[in-house]
Amino acid sequence: MFASFVQGPLVRVIPLGILLLALQRTIFVELQVNGVILQVMMAMAAAAGVAGGSERGAVVGFIFGVMFDLAEGTPLGSTAIAMTIAGVVGGLLALIAADPHWWLAAIFTGLGTAAGVASVPLIRAFIGEPEPFQQRLAVVVAITAAAGAILSPLLVPLARWCLRMKKAEWTQPVGEAAT
Amino acid sequence: MAIYTVGRRRVIFALLLTSALLLTLDLRGNAAVDRVRDGFTRVMEPVESATGVITNPIERAWNGVINYDDLELENQALQDQLDRLIGTQASAEASVIESQELQALYNLPSLSGIETEVAQVVGYAANNLDQVVEINKGRRSGISVGMPVVNQAGLIGKVTKVTDNTARVMLVTDSRYTIGVKITSAVRDGDTPVDTTPSGLTPDEIEDAATTTTSSTTVPDGDPGSTTTTLPTGLPIPESTLPGASPLPPIDELPSDESGALVILTDPETGEVLDAAALDELRELVSSTTTTLPEVVVEKEFGALEGRGRLLLPQIRFLQDNPSLAVLQEGDLVETAGGLESLAPTGIPVGRVANRADRPGSGGPLLDVELNADLARLNFVRVVLYKPLSEVEQ
Repeated sequence: MFASFVQGPLVRVIPLGILLLALQRTIFVELQVNGVILQVMMAMAAAAGVAGGSERGAVVGFIFGVMFDLAEGTPLGSTAIAMTIAGVVGGLLALIAADPHWWLAAIFTGLGTAAGVASVPLIRAFIGEPEPFQQRLAVVVAITAAAGAILSPLLVPLARWCLRMKKAEWTQPVGEAAT
Repeated sequence: MAIYTVGRRRVIFALLLTSALLLTLDLRGNAAVDRVRDGFTRVMEPVESATGVITNPIERAWNGVINYDDLELENQALQDQLDRLIGTQASAEASVIESQELQALYNLPSLSGIETEVAQVVGYAANNLDQVVEINKGRRSGISVGMPVVNQAGLIGKVTKVTDNTARVMLVTDSRYTIGVKITSAVRDGDTPVDTTPSGLTPDEIEDAATTTTSSTTVPDGDPGSTTTTLPTGLPIPESTLPGASPLPPIDELPSDESGALVILTDPETGEVLDAAALDELRELVSSTTTTLPEVVVEKEFGALEGRGRLLLPQIRFLQDNPSLAVLQEGDLVETAGGLESLAPTGIPVGRVANRADRPGSGGPLLDVELNADLARLNFVRVVLYKPLSEVEQ
């Protein structure tokens, strides 16, 4: 069991999550674009989905979301659901292309981030929070999605490393090589 | 290849259900969840401190590039504001002391008797929904959930979560924040007490309006130079008493400035030197000042102040406008109302009414409130160690 933990992705996901959480709560609170805080953890969850599929994206999103809720004091599980959705959406979109180009991966990451950020007020509404839908929700979603897309060339390889995945290598089929 | 299988879906559903379970546990109040949260916060503290130190230069560079112009403009505006505040500080302090004495005299509740705890803001919410800050004092300093938090400008929020050494403060702008407030008529900028002369100009305005030139032709012995002062054009001096009506006064009766230099007052239109009668009249004009008192502060209405989220002004609802008593209008002052169940004592300044929106029917008006405190730049804050009167009585 210990060996499977050490060899599994969690041993990399959790420290990376702590590091990203610290960055999210320090520098990214300051580096606001038009008054919007960039959601690097949400983008990372979406990038994990793009790199490793919806299942792995969901796992990474869940872990990051629980960490975020614990540190931020938000209702435990609320951001976890949103980040899980981000990972799943990123993974589902990545099904369109087997080995997407960097710009396609950027679009998928951006859309996954947008889905996650947009679902946060929806979840808050479900738990009875008054007026969670802000007037500027569209601006927040657009800016965080754009930031996720811009960061994706960095985040997708990081997610691959984190999930112990290698970039797909396309080889010629054995039969064709012989002919 | 089965890319999207039942097994994969099962994992996703399991994670979503686990999240829902955690959410339920947390919302119902679970001691284990609170302990885990406290422990995780402790683990994160050193990591965040280290990250903060490492990323500080990047933050500064970013702010230098993005916010430099804004900062410069804001600096100028703040300097102007500081100059104005220095002028009114003395009278404001006197008013506060007077108010506290009156409240003590009539056994009225006042803020002066309530203990406070100074704390520093150490973090802001990292999401775009919550308006929450973290302060570096907690349970060990006597802080508990519900206590109001203020800074020098006024109310900023209330404590919503407390650990041993930290606390989270929900800001007034958070959409979950509500507090009872009272609206009082404000002393407008133009209503502040000013000394005016019968001409309607203040002594300072008369002095500013006067143009000063140096003349080399009337220098007495030993003096560096004499000053010729031209009277302001707006000064309503009857024409019959202006120069030419009587002879020039003797030289020893002419006014001199602080440096001892000779001062010669001249008519702004003709440039002729003023005679003794005109000077006497001028002295009378400048010295006979009257003070205009501000209007009496009137409590107009009580309502509920509600936050509306980031970058939006909080609003006051549940108001009934009664024009026969007082009209709610822009510039009115907003303070906490206090009361038996209220989490904040009465009299904490909140802000001023910035806009008024009338609603059809019996809904009453909505008032936007410009907060006194700048919530984007919080540093040192003060937690008012206040418990609602209902809890104190128990």
